[in-house]
Amino acid sequence: MKNIAFGQYYPARSPLHTMDARMKVVLSVLYIVAAFLCKSAPAYAALLASAVVLLLLSRIPPRIVLRSLRPLFFIMIFTALLNLFFSGGTTVLFSFWRITVYVEGVYSAVFMLVRIVVLIFGTSIFLTYTTTPIELTDAIESLLSPLRILKLPVHEFAMMMSIALRFIPTLMEETSKIMNAQKARGVDFSSGGLIKRAKALVPILIPLIVSSFRRADELAMAMECRCYRGGKGRTKMTVPKLSVLDFVALAFMVAFGGTLLYLNGFRFGL
Amino acid sequence: MAVLSLDHVSYTYGEGTPFEIKALDDVSLTVREGSVTGIIGHTGSGKSTMVQLFNGLERPMQGRVLLDGQDIWTEPKKMREIRFRVGLVMQYPEYQLFEETVGADIAFGPRNIGLDEEEVARRVAEAATLVGLPKDLLDRSPFELSGGEKRRAAIAGIMAMKPEILVLDEPAAGLDPRGRDIILNAIRSYGKHTGATVIIVSHSMEDMAAYCDDIVVMAHAKVALSGTRDEVFANAEALTAVGLDVPQITRLALLLRARGVDIPDGIYTVEAATRALRKLFGKGRTV
Repeated sequence: MKNIAFGQYYPARSPLHTMDARMKVVLSVLYIVAAFLCKSAPAYAALLASAVVLLLLSRIPPRIVLRSLRPLFFIMIFTALLNLFFSGGTTVLFSFWRITVYVEGVYSAVFMLVRIVVLIFGTSIFLTYTTTPIELTDAIESLLSPLRILKLPVHEFAMMMSIALRFIPTLMEETSKIMNAQKARGVDFSSGGLIKRAKALVPILIPLIVSSFRRADELAMAMECRCYRGGKGRTKMTVPKLSVLDFVALAFMVAFGGTLLYLNGFRFGL
Repeated sequence: MAVLSLDHVSYTYGEGTPFEIKALDDVSLTVREGSVTGIIGHTGSGKSTMVQLFNGLERPMQGRVLLDGQDIWTEPKKMREIRFRVGLVMQYPEYQLFEETVGADIAFGPRNIGLDEEEVARRVAEAATLVGLPKDLLDRSPFELSGGEKRRAAIAGIMAMKPEILVLDEPAAGLDPRGRDIILNAIRSYGKHTGATVIIVSHSMEDMAAYCDDIVVMAHAKVALSGTRDEVFANAEALTAVGLDVPQITRLALLLRARGVDIPDGIYTVEAATRALRKLFGKGRTV
């Protein structure tokens, strides 16, 4: 309820929404690799352009996706400043007191910023905004299934993940309810020293832990009542299938990677 | 004692997003001092938002929340004092218990006020008696109690702060009829005992009719109807218009009257109906 855009699925009709979730996982990994392949200004420009294309393809309002950058704003600025002041170079842009800013520093700051923004955009558009948590965990289960040969509990892992994802909003809501209840009893979170503030958390944490255990217990009971016995012999209601669209997207991604490598050849600025 | 009122209050969730929900829309109301006031309405009518405005857990987007004519948001730093004066029991309050013993949990609020241990002990004993928790339960862990006892312990925790206005959000939700009666009686006797104003939020017309002096009917983020119990239930059409109804026993009395039975106005409980009918038969009238 509290205006937090936490990995929110945004329903829309777009090619990215209809794609197979497994392909989207693969593509987002490839996209991350592509972001790290970039070495020249034209390559970074192409990378930024690709993020805009992805955004348009997904048909999600840009405002919503931009919101996902907000929590990382500080880290982005910090990284950019570090790059700006601490990367060495040959061409001095300006210097005052003991700080010297090189042209190379400016470039690497901008590049780093573009890279972080594109990484967040790419993964959140591929994975969280256009893929439901259930599709995502199914995809991960399917992609990891070769590991079953090594006797790894892949299905259980995926189930744990989907349960964890499912309960994040529930627990957030619960936390705010308990906080309100204790505030009504006069708990003060915002004043006093460190120890006093830490102590004020006890009335929040204990009920929260108790209720998490209660929920886990109830969920386990409900699953047992429906005869859940792990992944053995379990079938799926909807079996995902790769379509032409998925392979076209893969081809585009590979071609995009190739283009970036080609653009790396053009030295511009750096 | 204190008077609580809302002055043209509006509250919207998720303002500016596609998921925007208007919870309260230009609501004004005054709660009569010393009364037991019921706030009734369907899910999503804005009841729970309203109670969180009463003690400053949420801030109205427009309008003012007034306590004795003073806007409670003029000095947000003093909000803690407001919360001691306007005690709020949230929905399912049993999930807020955390101390090692029931007694310590009830004492949590009074200790936060900064009362001395003697006074705290006195208030804990008083509140426990009021909600009908036996003395030997006070030394047990709150997690060992039954659901109904936990609920009563949590309510005692707020009563022990001796708020001038006690607000309860669905205090009887999910309890069996006996547990419900124990809790609602305890709440009413708190009001009688201390002279405090009591505000109960519920969706049960039956409970409201049996326990409240005044009733506020909420619908679609607005006050649809308000007044004394008699005034509100006299307006059965308006209640039906917002999807609510007079209590079943009141409906029965109205139907009997329509058929010419001489039964008085203001029948809200089965007991009152029994008394009225006994009186009729006692006079020897045939129905």
